[in-house]
Amino acid sequence: MNNPIFLVAAREFRQIAATKGFWITLLIIPLALAIGPIAGQLMQKSHTENVMLIDRSGQAAAAITRRIELDHQRQVLQSLSRYSESHDFDRADPKAVWTQHDHYYSDAEVQAFIASGGAEHAKAVLSRAAPPKTQPFDEPDRDYRIVSTPPAIAAASPAELAKRLPGLINPPKKDHATEPLDYAVYIPADFASGRSPVQLWSDGPPPGELMGVLQDTLTRAMRLHFLEAQGVKPQMADAAQLIAPMIAVNRPAAGKGHEQVIIRSILPLLVSYLLLMSLMLSGSWMLQGTVEERSNKLIEAVLACVSPNQFMYGKLLGTIAVGLTMVALWVTAAIVAAFATQGMIADFLRPALEPLAHPGVALAMIYYFLAGYLMMSMIFLTIGAMSDSFRDAQAYLSPIILVIAMPFAIIAQAVLRDPNSLGIRIMSWIPIYTPFTMLARMGAGVSLWEVIGCGITLAAFVALEVIFLGRVFRASLLGAGSKPSLARIGHLMRGRDSA
Amino acid sequence: MTALLLDHVTKDFGDKRAVDDLSFAVRDGEVFGFLGGNGAGKTTSLRMVLDIIRPTSGRIEILGRAPGRENSADLGFLPEERGLYRTMTALDTITYFGRLKGMTRNDARSQGKILLDRFGLGSSAGTKVEKLSKGMAQKVQLATAVVNAPRLLILDEPFSGLDPVNQGLLEDEIRRLSKAGSTIVFSTHVMQHAERLCDRLLLLADGRKKFEGTQDEARATLPARLTLAARTTPAKLPGVASAVAIGERDGWKDWDVRLKPGGDPADLLQACTEKSFALRRFEQSRPSLHDVFIHIVGGEEGRA
Repeated sequence: MNNPIFLVAAREFRQIAATKGFWITLLIIPLALAIGPIAGQLMQKSHTENVMLIDRSGQAAAAITRRIELDHQRQVLQSLSRYSESHDFDRADPKAVWTQHDHYYSDAEVQAFIASGGAEHAKAVLSRAAPPKTQPFDEPDRDYRIVSTPPAIAAASPAELAKRLPGLINPPKKDHATEPLDYAVYIPADFASGRSPVQLWSDGPPPGELMGVLQDTLTRAMRLHFLEAQGVKPQMADAAQLIAPMIAVNRPAAGKGHEQVIIRSILPLLVSYLLLMSLMLSGSWMLQGTVEERSNKLIEAVLACVSPNQFMYGKLLGTIAVGLTMVALWVTAAIVAAFATQGMIADFLRPALEPLAHPGVALAMIYYFLAGYLMMSMIFLTIGAMSDSFRDAQAYLSPIILVIAMPFAIIAQAVLRDPNSLGIRIMSWIPIYTPFTMLARMGAGVSLWEVIGCGITLAAFVALEVIFLGRVFRASLLGAGSKPSLARIGHLMRGRDSA
Repeated sequence: MTALLLDHVTKDFGDKRAVDDLSFAVRDGEVFGFLGGNGAGKTTSLRMVLDIIRPTSGRIEILGRAPGRENSADLGFLPEERGLYRTMTALDTITYFGRLKGMTRNDARSQGKILLDRFGLGSSAGTKVEKLSKGMAQKVQLATAVVNAPRLLILDEPFSGLDPVNQGLLEDEIRRLSKAGSTIVFSTHVMQHAERLCDRLLLLADGRKKFEGTQDEARATLPARLTLAARTTPAKLPGVASAVAIGERDGWKDWDVRLKPGGDPADLLQACTEKSFALRRFEQSRPSLHDVFIHIVGGEEGRA
């Protein structure tokens, strides 16, 4: 292999691969993948909030507690239903309530679920259908937990409560002897008459769900009181509280619809992000190398053996090889993590790898990745050839990075919201954003004409870059002194000052 | 055979003419000095020979071929501004340049080891360039230029920045390569090196050729200069342009005599004998290349 382009590329690759920065960067992603779930578990904080009920009516606290438990069990049931559907485990017990995915579960269904043994029983049933390495069902956290009411508080007057309770709600200094408290609710004995208000203490805006529970439960009690006052028999009034509509839920199956867009967009977005990250890293390393070659005065000796074009292509190839090595290692680490582990990573990555199953999508992703690399590397390379020091290079580089990298976050969010929105489609046709945007959109499905059209536009842009920036590169290699101005760069692009 | 030929070569950079209608030929196997002051056009001419830049007009032939990277296997080049990849080892650096010149990896490495041994750097083959002293790095740079035993070695101001030890090493290497049959072209503005090494030389000023020929031919461009010890002034003798007394001893005066252009000291000696002009000393002083350079190129560049 004595092709000068390959020799320059191999040297470039070896020089970058010999730096500590390269290896640290290379290992960051796999390390993050390994440490992430562990750190996540260690840092996991319960979302459950503590509620204290001060009930002077004697009945409301029990009703609220029942209602909170019922709502939590409904959440467990919904999660279980989703889990069974996405893993295709309905066959474990086709008659179970969690196999019915088409409606909102009624109170009666939730009570039946609790009566049948709840989540524990369901998990035992599901385990019969689950293959050995399936991630087990993870019960959602409770939203609220009722804490006991200290006797002193239970006996306190409303005025005393108003004084003492604000100090107990999430105090700045934690008192480990007492249970932490997020909300306190005072229910007066005559609340049903409407004369005395129910009071809630919180250190922030009132929580919507808790307010819903209180509103619903206490309204039922008041309606019951009202109906009984109107002479309706207690059984009749009670039965009236249970009347509730059956609400059918029409939604795509688990992993379909918008959920599918999100899951299938994970890998393309990740590739798009990797492109940006590896480009910035390998591009800056190459830039450093080119600046070093210029400032060390060794360009001339190299140019006696290889043409400026061979030198340029060799450096581009070397940088692309560095970038691809990084990405290949990161993707391999992700795939190994997906198939060697159980849990969140695997559950995310396996369906996320689905777009690659289509050869056309995979090919288009490889094309946009490589073209994006070439497009950006050419810019880095030219900046390197024009700069005598890394500080010089920064002056050119900073605005370019700002223009290219800043919209990335917007692109990622917009793609997840609507991968075919007008804004995203317009950005797909702007060559400096094409690789990132098209890569990000690939998972959600892009029309063939757009893939081809944007691909051709990008190829034309890269070709123009190679021609015009190539002229600047060649003319700048042996130059020295002050940084060329924009006018001078334009002059060089037009080939007016070629050697 | 002609190793290098420049035929009416001109190079313009915008409005500035760096090389103006330059023509010369370097014969196979000779050591050719390319002399000129700073900004005379030496580096530009050599870069055109190496195809690093292209001439505006004219023709260049190198080993019978047009300039291009296909010649790199037969060429060696040591630029004036030198540098090395700091993080590469000495041997890897030489191997890399050897391979760029078309050598196989094994050949480049083994030749690199031989060169490093010869330059006294055998034990530093695996040392990174950034850890080498400046003198050691200079030897590595020389090795990168000669690793392929080039048929034509081009050295641009090769002695600039070298310590005396390395200057001697470079002179030895030039002589060794010349003896082995290589053609060597080197540019310099230090005449002593050219005096010691060159078979032929070219003087360049403002991009134009001022002289091309052997050292003797160069010296012949200066009027002959003699020191005579005589009782009377030799100014009246035929062929003498000027005679200035520079000392006196025992009634004999020492005279600094300059002959008219083209005048031969032998003719003056004959005239002295025929005219019975008493002489106690007749000493011909050989002009240095420095004198020639000052004479041809001019005092301004000669001081550069």
